[in-house]
Amino acid sequence: MSVTKLHFLVLFAFVSSGLCSSCTNPQVTSKSFTTQDATIVTNIAYISEFNLKCSSGSVSHLYADVDGIIVPVSEIAPNNYQVSWTEEIKTARRGDVTLRLFDEDGYTTLRKAIRAGEDLSAVSPLFTVTINHPGAFTGPWLKSEFLAAALAFVVAYLALSSRSKLLS
Amino acid sequence: MPAKSSSKPFTKEEELLLQDFSRNVSTKSSALFYGNAFIVSAIPIWLFWRIHMIDVFASLLPFVLVTLISTYLIAIAYRNTKFTLKHKIAVKREDAVTWELNKKLSEDKKMSKKEKDERILWKKNEVADFEATTFSIFYNNALYLAIVIFASFYLLRGFTPAVNYIFSVGTTAGLLALLSTGSK
Repeated sequence: MSVTKLHFLVLFAFVSSGLCSSCTNPQVTSKSFTTQDATIVTNIAYISEFNLKCSSGSVSHLYADVDGIIVPVSEIAPNNYQVSWTEEIKTARRGDVTLRLFDEDGYTTLRKAIRAGEDLSAVSPLFTVTINHPGAFTGPWLKSEFLAAALAFVVAYLALSSRSKLLS
Repeated sequence: MPAKSSSKPFTKEEELLLQDFSRNVSTKSSALFYGNAFIVSAIPIWLFWRIHMIDVFASLLPFVLVTLISTYLIAIAYRNTKFTLKHKIAVKREDAVTWELNKKLSEDKKMSKKEKDERILWKKNEVADFEATTFSIFYNNALYLAIVIFASFYLLRGFTPAVNYIFSVGTTAGLLALLSTGSK
């Protein structure tokens, strides 16, 4: 991206943020979904859907910070937003995952912090949303074929030992 | 015909004795062996059909052929195992059978010593035959089941179900027949 383009973007961001006043005192109600059954899938999906109400002002675009990765939030209905991502089954986080959400202004600050190599957690978000992932079912602890094989071996051991007892 | 005239036909006692010590089994025993061997050989079909998701109708021919071969081989294994075990069992159970029969026949004063001995011998043979038959079936079934499960789930896991079936069932039955020929 050329320098002039960047300047233009920054200018545009300032203008647009000036045009619509930013959201104050945001009220968020969210619901979330995460993959619970990992036996037939390769990735765990995290989806958060939330409704945003501002006391005054509004947001045009929202950005979510998922552990240092900035993803855009899609607006699925007026004031309703959705953010989703996937993680590998082995490295999928369990428990509460906190999403930090930023409006345009926050996003600009965030970009600046990224450019400067600063700590992103220092940038305060507009609001946060929590997704709880209790962990996915990756199959039974003891596989049934193992159980069957173990039982068959026990019976075979009994047969072998009693045979050697008879032959002794 | 000199050959025929020189060999006297066996007496009934000799026939019985020969039968007791021969590898051949009676028709009843043979039917038991083949029936059991067939059931045991057919059981893996269920495993491969329902668990390994093999198409039964597409691989009907391997199923039938392998089951028949396996039935034959396991019947051989039953017979050989029974033969190896029978005399060992007869020796092991001798005292108990003698003691029990002596107790039973002690009231019968008329019975001669020879007849008592014959009865003991006959009873001993019967006990050993029954125990050897049932134990042989149990022993081979247990080994067959264990090896088939282990081979199909672990050793041949990477093969297609049809190949897995043919090799796990076929080689297991062959292995059992081979193992049964050893005396130890």
